Amino acid sequence: MEHWFPVSLLMAFLSLDVSAAGQFMISRPIVTGPVVGWLVGHPGIGLELGALIELIWIGDVPVGAHLPLDLTVLTGSAVAFACELAQGNYPPEAVMTYALGVAIPLAFLATEAEILLRKFHVRWIHFAQRMALGSHFRTFEWINSIVLAELFLKGFFIAVASLTLAHWSSRLFYMLSERVVEGLYYAHWLLLALGCSAVIDLLVEKKTAIYLILSIVSTMSLAVFFQVQGVYLVSLALFAGFILTLFYVGKGEAS
Amino acid sequence: MTPEEKKTVRLNSADYTTAFLRVFVIQTVWNFERYLSYGVAYVLLPVLKKIYQIPEERAQALSRHLEYFNTHPYMASFVLGAVIRMEEEKQQLPKAKQKEKEEEISALKVGMMGPIAAMGDNLFWATIRPYCGLIAVTLVLSQAFQVKGQYWIIPLLFLLVYNVAHVGLRLMGFVQGYRHSDQVVLTLRKYGFQEAIRGLRLASILLLGVLIVFVNLSELEKEVGLFILKLTFFTAIVGLFTFALHRKISPSQLFYAVVLFALILAFWPELSARPVFHMGVAP
Repeated sequence: MEHWFPVSLLMAFLSLDVSAAGQFMISRPIVTGPVVGWLVGHPGIGLELGALIELIWIGDVPVGAHLPLDLTVLTGSAVAFACELAQGNYPPEAVMTYALGVAIPLAFLATEAEILLRKFHVRWIHFAQRMALGSHFRTFEWINSIVLAELFLKGFFIAVASLTLAHWSSRLFYMLSERVVEGLYYAHWLLLALGCSAVIDLLVEKKTAIYLILSIVSTMSLAVFFQVQGVYLVSLALFAGFILTLFYVGKGEAS
Repeated sequence: MTPEEKKTVRLNSADYTTAFLRVFVIQTVWNFERYLSYGVAYVLLPVLKKIYQIPEERAQALSRHLEYFNTHPYMASFVLGAVIRMEEEKQQLPKAKQKEKEEEISALKVGMMGPIAAMGDNLFWATIRPYCGLIAVTLVLSQAFQVKGQYWIIPLLFLLVYNVAHVGLRLMGFVQGYRHSDQVVLTLRKYGFQEAIRGLRLASILLLGVLIVFVNLSELEKEVGLFILKLTFFTAIVGLFTFALHRKISPSQLFYAVVLFALILAFWPELSARPVFHMGVAP
């Protein structure tokens, strides 16, 4: 892989945003995807794959002590790998599905590494306690910077390992028959359905399901019978959502 | 300086700003034993340095804040603002009452971390982030706005919308926590978080409906009947996957199930209307 070094550095930097520093969500797939894609020369593939990953794993949230799948490693390695495969003029949908399939186990390994490191951080907290009681405040403060550096290095090495493993599996892709590529192409459309299901699982309850049905029927009617353009349909949905939110917030304030 | 010689110290805006900026690294040393405890102590250290000028007292105060603490990282600002105010108040009390105040501070942290964690998880992880993500994904997949090579616009929009809420809430939490001290939990209701959650969730559902139609819209240019058929099939599959996710099958497991199903479909001998590929060669 040609751009492994800058991509690994970028992934290491973005991985800090997941939980250690900021949490501005620059590590989310919808941002990581196009940035990595831009770095390797295919921002369009990065954006599309980032959007797909964002949608499928939208419901994987860090509640309590649960650490979700490492989406930065998943997106970074999948996008870099998909961009490498895309140079062979294969259908982009099939390439994206294959790259995602290779990147998921790598993301699981990255999550396991994160869990191990968090267990190791228990030692840092005991050390911090000793430094606090001994009035070594400067050392106490340095622990934060040392751990940030440690997490950056972890992110870098995980990224290098993921990109290398993904690159090795590219030979397998070139050996696939036309039928298998066709299957991967179909899978892409089904993955969009999986993403929509993830949103429903997270947000829709029995009593709000009617709003989803109404939204589908009205959007379909507007598109089919009135030939309303896509840009207007999205704007309409955003506007209606904005009004609904204002209505509920206003209702809450009134009560 | 001996404890008898110490004088009341006033914090200035630089101390509050330093403490607030440190809120963004509250999770760095997150661990499975005491979770955010180091982060809390790290945020409070610039303030404690000013309040406790005697190193032994400062060490004791810092050590107190290394006790178990776990909550939502954004909502922790409410607690931290309140703790800073209470530490200031404690220093002005006579020695005999200071122990009592210490217990109050500890009780506030323990009492607040659970409820605000639940509120933060619900508000940010389960509502605002999915909503912002869904806006971005709908704009990308629907190709409603022709960005013409300007790939950075949609991610930037996502970051802008999300961080207005994120940074705004952290700042508001810090200020309100400081202003209301141990009464801050009572003020949380007036911000209307629950109502905002309901409104934003309905907004997300409306957007999801548009997305489901858009994913299949390319067929509309060919034939209306085919579009409706494809949309119906797609909706049925969405229902099936939702059932599977509800049964606690993870998205990763479903991913491989989907690929396997698609491969079976590809090898099905009687499937018509195969897509025509121009298979490339390995570069």
